[in-house]
Amino acid sequence: MAALIEVKNLQKYFKSAGGQVHAVDGVSFTIEKGETLGLVGESGCGKSTLGRTLIHLNEPTGGEMFYDGRDVTRLNTRQLTEFRKDVQMIFQDPFSSLDPRQTIQDIIEEPMRLATRMSKSELKEKTIELMDTVGIEKRLRQSYPHELDGGRRQRVGIARALALDPKFIVCDEPVSALDVSIQAQILNLLMDLQETRGLTYLFITHDMSVVKHISNHICVMYLGQMVEKSEKEELFDKPLHPYTKALLSAIPTTDIHHQKQRILLKGEIKSAINPGPGCRFASRCPYATEECRQGVQLKEVLPNHFVACNKVEEINGL
Amino acid sequence: MPEELRRKQENHERGDHPEHRRGGDRHRPRRKRQESLKPGSFKYVWRSVSRNKGAVVGMIMLAAIVVLCFLSPYICKYPYAKLNMMDSYQTPNLNHLFGTDEMGRDLFSCVLYGARYTLIIGLLATAMSAVLGIIMGAAAGYFGGIVDSCLMRFLDIFQAFPTLVLAMAFCAVFGTGVDKCILALGITGIPGFARLMRANILRIVNMEYIEAARTINCPTWKIILKHIIPNSVSPVIVEIAMTVSRNGLTSSSLSFLGLGVQPPKPEWGAMLSAARSYIRDYPHMVIIPGIFIVITVLSFNLIGDAFRDALDPTLKN
Amino acid sequence: MAENHQKEPLFSVRNLVVDYHSGDSIVHAVNGVSFDLAPGETLGLVGETGAGKTTIAKASLRILPEYSVERIEGEVFYDGKDVLKMNDHELRKLRGEHISMIFQDPMTALNPVKTVISQIAEGYKTHHNCSKAEANQVAIKMLEMVGIGADRAEEFPHQFSGGMKQRVVIALALACSPKVLIADEPTTALDVTIQAQVLDLIKSLRDELGTAMVLITHDLGIVAEVCDKVAVIYAGRIVESGTKEDIFDHPTHPYTKGLFAALPDLQKKVRRLSPIEGLPPDPCEERRCCDFYDRCPYKCGHCKSYDHTKAIEVSPGHFSRCWRTDATKEGE
Repeated sequence: MAALIEVKNLQKYFKSAGGQVHAVDGVSFTIEKGETLGLVGESGCGKSTLGRTLIHLNEPTGGEMFYDGRDVTRLNTRQLTEFRKDVQMIFQDPFSSLDPRQTIQDIIEEPMRLATRMSKSELKEKTIELMDTVGIEKRLRQSYPHELDGGRRQRVGIARALALDPKFIVCDEPVSALDVSIQAQILNLLMDLQETRGLTYLFITHDMSVVKHISNHICVMYLGQMVEKSEKEELFDKPLHPYTKALLSAIPTTDIHHQKQRILLKGEIKSAINPGPGCRFASRCPYATEECRQGVQLKEVLPNHFVACNKVEEINGL
Repeated sequence: MPEELRRKQENHERGDHPEHRRGGDRHRPRRKRQESLKPGSFKYVWRSVSRNKGAVVGMIMLAAIVVLCFLSPYICKYPYAKLNMMDSYQTPNLNHLFGTDEMGRDLFSCVLYGARYTLIIGLLATAMSAVLGIIMGAAAGYFGGIVDSCLMRFLDIFQAFPTLVLAMAFCAVFGTGVDKCILALGITGIPGFARLMRANILRIVNMEYIEAARTINCPTWKIILKHIIPNSVSPVIVEIAMTVSRNGLTSSSLSFLGLGVQPPKPEWGAMLSAARSYIRDYPHMVIIPGIFIVITVLSFNLIGDAFRDALDPTLKN
Repeated sequence: MAENHQKEPLFSVRNLVVDYHSGDSIVHAVNGVSFDLAPGETLGLVGETGAGKTTIAKASLRILPEYSVERIEGEVFYDGKDVLKMNDHELRKLRGEHISMIFQDPMTALNPVKTVISQIAEGYKTHHNCSKAEANQVAIKMLEMVGIGADRAEEFPHQFSGGMKQRVVIALALACSPKVLIADEPTTALDVTIQAQVLDLIKSLRDELGTAMVLITHDLGIVAEVCDKVAVIYAGRIVESGTKEDIFDHPTHPYTKGLFAALPDLQKKVRRLSPIEGLPPDPCEERRCCDFYDRCPYKCGHCKSYDHTKAIEVSPGHFSRCWRTDATKEGE
């Protein structure tokens, strides 16, 4: 299978009052066609920035991005228009991602109206088809977003993203604003769509159980850097980076009989403003030494299992 | 159980309650609404405004003034400028409904003709400040950076002076008259609109639906026209109603000070100013134009308040 | 667990009913909720958004905004006295000194223009009538207890990270050593690793101080970790309650089962999740049968006729509102 998305050493810095915020710093990954890459990390780790940079809502500061073998790091307006027919996004907040003054019909048909020369009746037909695909009743076509509940709004957002028949969708925390029972509905829908349309996802979330459910591969990010990347099962069975271990141990489970051994982190979270060299997790890492504060490289520790930790062999006895 | 409740219950049980089938819920939609109304659309606002008693009273009063003002050539027995020294200083009576002034002019005609000046000055000056203010504010908010700094600092200079003082200064420079008055009030009103618009734009630009519009290749001008402006005009509409009333008041103040509309023209402020020396002996000469100023300003304020409630969802309930 | 049932409850809520008015309609937020809390015990109130969890907590401390409340009925006993009938003086004494509350968002729960130490000391001073120095000492002790060094006590809330702020809030809530702590989604705004730290802290402080706790959350994982007893809330009613073992090992009510099924599980491998179809009922409507009827996979004619306002005791201490205590098991 060919890689649909390839990202090499991507960087995105923002200017802020205190200096440069290294929101994404040297992240590399590939996503195969039809697969889902889960991007996990805690708030402020740069995962949303990464997703937005990938679809050119932000321009990358450095690094390279490839889509289907083509270099898409820098695009002019015309190229961008073409690119965005294939690459779409589903947003986190189903309440602010829909224009309150547009009807559901307007929202879903807008991408098609802009990109194609469809007639009014064709647009209507296609909209109804899309609404049917994502499971919204036809009669809500002329409703406004405020009249819908969170789950349906999120379905509208998904329908809009699907309108141009994209091949790749960035899902930015699409279920984190929803209740458990509704979250399950949306996750099922996303997985069904992937199967029927052969979609490729970059699934951004902070919820480990959701990412485990939906992804094939998982990247763990910490303060703009990638700390671990591997196949899903392997990451959950054999986490190698101390941060990943702590993250996995911290998830509350509903199994009341087998309490997990918690790894509780101490220390302060480093700021992403001018972070300097070295492992950014060092300030909270129980194994950190002086060497870790100097520099760290992402390396393939086991086949297809990448870890950015100097002490990985020592910690895991490899 | 009352009839209505039972019916609801039955609908509920049959499962054809529209919102009950699937989907998630974080903030529950209000299910009572039958018709889909666009928030901020004319119908939506109208329904809310027409339920507001204050606004209805304000609109009736305003409508009455406007109708009288248009009908004044037909219902006034005397032209407003006609002098009749024989009838001077009359208190209200059947012949002269509102009495006469020191020159024997009929106050009823004066007040009705005067309404034109107050309304025209109020509306035109507001239109001028709104148009210029919205453009400047939108530009400052959307482009940001140096455009923002330059425009806002320039407007800060205006805001450093009290409105009336600034308007007086403009009148002193441009001269007096209706057109000058409009110009002076129009310019002094710009900063208020600009700031309001800028704040709104800054709020809207960061919404996810603007980002969503960018991901579906919506050109910038279309984003501004279709998404940003419609979502940021509501507070401006409220401000317009309020500014009209404020401008009416300020134009009267200017005329009262002798800087706005000049005395033979029956502007209400000018009438007040001319009559102020007779306040002890013939109070009707002051009270009548005064009451009209109050009624006009009050009705605009009432309407403005109702619009604020209708357009601002955070004040609901 | 068994001895808890014998213990005299410290805090108990009896048939609490809360109606709001919102616009033209009346929202039935809480429809007859009862629970008991013995000293040192932790009760988890679980439910989805809009189920009425927070309203229960706020009503029992009488901190609901009065202008929007249509009626509050029922009884809330603390130490034998009805909170809903207390006068202002008694209420002030009750809040903070006997019962305190932790809110969801640590960012807005602290006053941004006061140092953290002065915020903690202030509460202690008003309740204990002591000197400022004494109150400051207590405040520093509290901060140390939640893992914030004395050197940071003079800092302002914005200088702390989210997790640290929530620790300050906890210190604030526990400063007067209350007997009952009501924690409303205390970790929802925090990251997982920070959440683990804060939960750990809450657990250890609870054990150390012997505080009884009501933990409100939507996360079943947190309940599994912290609570002794669980009450599952749906549409303003407790649909199932019992010990943690009862609820997690033998869930009886279809809603509880649905919640567990909808959760993506780290251990199990399932391709599709099983969501609960449909939406929670409109809280503005009066319902004459089971609240869950519309969404229930097991619904039948009998569901409409039995008395849905009564809970059925499935096993000692384990109550469910579904009459089908056994049939649902067969349905699996």
